[in-house]
Amino acid sequence: MNANIMNRSELIYHTIAIISLVIVIILLWNFTSDGSYVEGKINSDVITEETVSTIYGQLYRMIPTFCGVILFSIVISFYLEEWLQQTSWQYQIIERHIAILARVPSLVVGILAVYFIFFHFQNITYYGLLLTVVLLVMPVTIQSTQKSIQTVDISVREAAYALGATRWRVVTDHVFPHTFSKILAVICTAISRILAIAAFLVASVWIYGSNSFSFPKSVILLITGALIVSVLSSLLD
Amino acid sequence: MQPVIEISDLKVFYEDAQALNGISLDVYPNEILGIIGPAQSGKTTLLKVINRTLEFTQGTSIEGTVKLDGIDINSISDVYGLRRRIGMVLPLPVGLPLSIYDNVAFAPRTAGLRNKTDLDEIVERCLQQAALWDEVKDRLDSLGTKLSGGQQQRLTIARALSHQPEILCLDEFSIAVDPITTMRIEDVLKTLKEEMTILLVTNLVQQAKRLANRTAFMLNGDLIEIDETDVIFSENPTNQSTYDYVNGTFG
Repeated sequence: MNANIMNRSELIYHTIAIISLVIVIILLWNFTSDGSYVEGKINSDVITEETVSTIYGQLYRMIPTFCGVILFSIVISFYLEEWLQQTSWQYQIIERHIAILARVPSLVVGILAVYFIFFHFQNITYYGLLLTVVLLVMPVTIQSTQKSIQTVDISVREAAYALGATRWRVVTDHVFPHTFSKILAVICTAISRILAIAAFLVASVWIYGSNSFSFPKSVILLITGALIVSVLSSLLD
Repeated sequence: MQPVIEISDLKVFYEDAQALNGISLDVYPNEILGIIGPAQSGKTTLLKVINRTLEFTQGTSIEGTVKLDGIDINSISDVYGLRRRIGMVLPLPVGLPLSIYDNVAFAPRTAGLRNKTDLDEIVERCLQQAALWDEVKDRLDSLGTKLSGGQQQRLTIARALSHQPEILCLDEFSIAVDPITTMRIEDVLKTLKEEMTILLVTNLVQQAKRLANRTAFMLNGDLIEIDETDVIFSENPTNQSTYDYVNGTFG
């Protein structure tokens, strides 16, 4: 009986995944078939130093948003692990979508961001960058935080609950302190990914606009920052 | 005498596997009920049902009723209050990531107690009852998780006593404690019996013989027999498998 239910739900999830994939392929085909990027219809004059400084402006403006996305991801992880029943359909659906998105290579997200934001829409929009950050950071952050929460032994929770602690107190007093260093590592990884994708966006635009591989210093700084934060992340984990 | 806990036809399932096969028993006030039986007989599951911590195990379902003072525990909306009425000591020590003092003061604080003098008094009393006070009185601010295994287990006992439960569930409490300390804690349990009801799950049949007023023998999720401890450990218990188990023929 249970096996049949599992098979049916598996079938539904796979069908949704295949339909989503077909939609993405059709959209990509439509976007590329007009040839604007392939045939170089976009004037490279459009992309100048001014464009790069606009990107920086947007990125600086988005710092609070980046922090918000990271914190929101951590909150979602705690909600999934501590409040939602793992056997519930809501958990299963969210979990599967996060798993799919987390497996998308960050390079693919970066290329899509460059293509859609700069070459297709020819505009650096707040929502475009937000979408990129959400796709790039949220799934991986949620997944990593969930894994760190899962490392907290069930006996710690049981011991605290047995003393009459509420769910909120169990999370704040026991689960969070147990996972704190791991969550810091997750935050560092997320920051590293953001810095890396920012460097990628700026470098792509710079190369396209100037036809030169001599990156501005800011790209080197972003890459260095990403590397340093990655090392810090591995030390904390 | 009115039982403090009434369990009737209790069945517990871990997904497809059945852990308890329709158990019925009563527990009376101020008694020590020993629960013995080999591994996988459902002893721990029974305790977790009583204080409703089994709810945190995924895929479990429960049938039957468990009443505490005549009220079905599943109808109690304040589950946190229910758990404060039932102290629980798990087989392996679980040091909460807090200082020794805060470990013991955690439950009273959760219940709303903030007065430092009262908390100090509770911490000292509980640590003394758990035979730990002399060893830690000078370092109450150090982490509970830094204590040795045996000390952590006694800290767990002190913590379970800190909210002055009506019922104390001990699940293999002496597994990580040396024999001398075990004897000291057993003496404390004999005193505590005057104040509360104690459910003692143990693999050490001699411990049940020493402490329990009545003893229940469980096997493969069934309650084989429950009777006065003297009867269970006599030459003539009702069931042959009880005799075989307490005499070491199996288990």
